[in-house]
Amino acid sequence: MIRLVVALLAIYATSAHSEYLYGLTGNMAGAGHTWGMNIGPSGSQSLKINGVFYQYTPTKNTEDDMLVHVRNKRVGGGYIFSSTDDWSGLQGGIPITKGFVIDNLPIELWGDGSIDIEGTGSVVDANVIYSYKYNNDCLTPMSDPSCSGYIDAVLSMMGESKVEVYDPLADENIADVIDDKAELDEDVQQEDEEKAEAKDRLQRMLSGVNDSILYANVSSQNLLMFAMSRNNNLNPYYDKKLSGGTYKETVVLDGGQLPDNKKGARAGLAQQILHTKMVNSQYEPKE
Amino acid sequence: MKNLLIAVVLLASSTSVLAADTPIVGNVQTRCLITTDTNGVFGNPLPSKLSTASADGGVVPVVRYDVTLADAYLAKVTTPTAFSASPSLSDSVTWTGSTAVSKTSDAAMSGYEAAKVTYGSTTQFDLTKAGSTWFSSTATAVYGVSKSFPGGSYTAIVLAECIAK
Repeated sequence: MIRLVVALLAIYATSAHSEYLYGLTGNMAGAGHTWGMNIGPSGSQSLKINGVFYQYTPTKNTEDDMLVHVRNKRVGGGYIFSSTDDWSGLQGGIPITKGFVIDNLPIELWGDGSIDIEGTGSVVDANVIYSYKYNNDCLTPMSDPSCSGYIDAVLSMMGESKVEVYDPLADENIADVIDDKAELDEDVQQEDEEKAEAKDRLQRMLSGVNDSILYANVSSQNLLMFAMSRNNNLNPYYDKKLSGGTYKETVVLDGGQLPDNKKGARAGLAQQILHTKMVNSQYEPKE
Repeated sequence: MKNLLIAVVLLASSTSVLAADTPIVGNVQTRCLITTDTNGVFGNPLPSKLSTASADGGVVPVVRYDVTLADAYLAKVTTPTAFSASPSLSDSVTWTGSTAVSKTSDAAMSGYEAAKVTYGSTTQFDLTKAGSTWFSSTATAVYGVSKSFPGGSYTAIVLAECIAK
């Protein structure tokens, strides 16, 4: 577990980005020709010197030899910054000013600063200023993963504090909420089923109505089609016309005499007799 | 006549083809840069006097010369002899001024001040060392004979030049 945390913290630390803040010191040589390097905001981490500017006015006789060293000791020996002005044979009285760009050297390497004079003469109105940059996020190691000591601080905090595993299912409040939610879900599900059933009934009813309407439509359409076809079928007969218009008598009475049909007369008389007989039979008294 | 004309035309066209312009290009890197370090301000200690001296309530103008090639340039600084802008003046103005080395970036430049040459309102410095040199100029203007300057804005110019030796 701890290995995983360390790995994640290391990855996060390498990917994290922090911005630098920049600043200038005051005149470090204002109180004398030696000074300490307690610069920057209190407790600031990753402070780096990126510039040195100095100015002073030499006081000397022109014929005197004088070297002026403006420098800082390096922690561990030597000088981390040194600039020498050779005023030998030169007149004083005119201020000299110089500026140097420093390659972001950590403050931990910078020892005390000083203006040292070799020869005869002095320096007045000295002004030494350092420019620096720092990362304010590292005032406390845990404020930024990029700060040195971040991982150690996190692990230290984990070791010092009692780690309690939190089981959310054991929390009564959460259990109550889960139960309430389950009941609510059940109610909602039941309500949904009722709605679905009502909807189904409604759909079936609407389906019957739709069938009746459809049947009625089909019947009416059939009647309409029948009427239309009937009309179409009868109209040709109404429009039918006989050709010619006059049919003349073509039967010719042979001999000029039309004799009685005796056979017909006999059949007619027999029918008449039978008819009379039938008519009279209804008036005859019944036995 | 016709043949002669054709010959002249051919001759002219052939000579024009032979002509060519060949450019020569070169860049000169700036080795003397003049920068206004501080703008001057006139103080008005007396009604008839305008002065850049700090004692008179003014601000001394400072100009900086950045030279990257030693012993190659002269610095010429000319203090003003007239206002470049002012209210209408009906009387004469008497100008005085001076220029001095106010700051250097190299101890070896300390001799500039002693070696300067002054003529008229112009002060000339021999820039024998590479580096930066700050020159400050004072300028004082007195109007008439103790005559009050008219109210308004007054502007004067300090001319700084870098002359190649």
